[in-house]
Amino acid sequence: MNPLELTLGIMTAVGGFVDISELVFAAKAGSQFGYALIWVFAFSTIGIIVFSEMSGRVAAVAKQPVFNLMRHRLGLKLGLITLAASIVSNLITCAAELGGVSLILNYLTGAPYMLMAIVMTAALIASIWVLPFKWIERVYGLLGLFMIIFAAALIAIHPPWDKIAGGFVPQIPHGLSTKELLVFAYFVVAIISAVMFPYEVYFYSSGGIEEEWGLKDLLTNRITSIVGMGLGSLLGIAILSSSAQLFGPANVSPEIPGTAALEAAIPFGKWGLIVALLGMFFAVAGAAVETCLANAYSIAQFFGWIWGRHKKPWEAPRFTLTWVALFLLALAIVLTGVDVMVLVEFAILFSILVLPLTYLPLLLLSGDRKYMGQYVNGSTAKTLGWLYFGVITLAAIAALPLYFLTSGGNG
Amino acid sequence: MLRKPLLLALMVAGCSKGPQADLQYIEQARSLGAEWALVNEQASQGKLTKTYVSSMHEWLRDQLQSSATSLTQPNSRYGEEIRALLQQPDDALPEQLRVHSNALKQIEDQLESA
Repeated sequence: MNPLELTLGIMTAVGGFVDISELVFAAKAGSQFGYALIWVFAFSTIGIIVFSEMSGRVAAVAKQPVFNLMRHRLGLKLGLITLAASIVSNLITCAAELGGVSLILNYLTGAPYMLMAIVMTAALIASIWVLPFKWIERVYGLLGLFMIIFAAALIAIHPPWDKIAGGFVPQIPHGLSTKELLVFAYFVVAIISAVMFPYEVYFYSSGGIEEEWGLKDLLTNRITSIVGMGLGSLLGIAILSSSAQLFGPANVSPEIPGTAALEAAIPFGKWGLIVALLGMFFAVAGAAVETCLANAYSIAQFFGWIWGRHKKPWEAPRFTLTWVALFLLALAIVLTGVDVMVLVEFAILFSILVLPLTYLPLLLLSGDRKYMGQYVNGSTAKTLGWLYFGVITLAAIAALPLYFLTSGGNG
Repeated sequence: MLRKPLLLALMVAGCSKGPQADLQYIEQARSLGAEWALVNEQASQGKLTKTYVSSMHEWLRDQLQSSATSLTQPNSRYGEEIRALLQQPDDALPEQLRVHSNALKQIEDQLESA
């Protein structure tokens, strides 16, 4: 285990953890329900750690990315349905990230939003084309560390730490009306979906194959998953907590993503605002790249094409054409003028529907001694894996009714 | 057994008109007014860049306009409050913006308790 590689891996995971959906829902959750939804963030983070570690282990031991498993474990018909659903889910998520990053660029430069969407698409395509895989991940992840300003801002506003600590205890706030309870339930589902986005596992496991992980990387995989994602999640919790402290009492329930940057501007002024916007920019741009590549990985792996960014673009032509086309499709969605917040809501909704089908084959294969040998799931991974599978299945069933009954969490 | 009530609830949520159906837009407009006030307050203390402030004004106004046009009862009291917000200049005093945001909050609370 190379300590430098491990540190960079952890820092990349921290900086790349928050995306546009987490940013939006953390800020809204804090303003509407105070600290009462912190436990959902913590709970979902354990879930994504469990499945990421599992997918990394499968990539290192069985050399199998997630979508290969899906086709074999779910069969062609159910596999195709899952592929189609995940393509839609990842495409909408990619469009939400692309819209988000264009908005942030608009706040930073004042240049027109639509123009920024076109410029960003070109820049993101160029960055994937030019950078080696490891550096695609690292450039965005490491620059996304500007997001740490949100944790510093929380400390600077002297929040009630006892209430924040209390938020880690699973709870439903007292005295909520039926309507408020439904909105609370919608937020629970939305945060689970935002933290456990399926693209994260597709990208993580395919990345393991790209970087040719082997048995020697198992410990790095485990530490990166636990420490990197655990610390990354604290940034989301910091955004939620600052929102509870600053926005809730001011009747603000952030309706546009740029409002979140005020959390850093209030204690630190202009430089705090700029650092926050830069952090948001790189974190969301990184998520746009990951969603697009995750989608292309899924399609290529399902159909057995040659894939991977470790190859020259022309050595994997169908894979290359797919990710470029997916970026252009995401751009086309943004150029229709659909609101970024609407895209975020749809991304959350479609993702939660895909989650059980994503994690079931992974759970089955990582528990199969024939493939995994002595690296098969232990009792902790098995118990947690099935517990979270049950939770995300329930969340997937509840998602659509809750979305309609609460008008997408708007009451 | 649960299918009928659920379908009914979904239909009601999707097709209803009047103040209850407008509640989500009232909530949006209340928050947008409060966000606008917060931006102007921080800008007056020199904590924000000019570019950020003008972009935020543009997006806040755009979203407020969208809330206003989505109302099923635009000539209601809340419709008037949203229009009053839209008539404010970009650099309106935070207190002035909060008057309208608070009025919308009161209407929202009344509708929620009804």
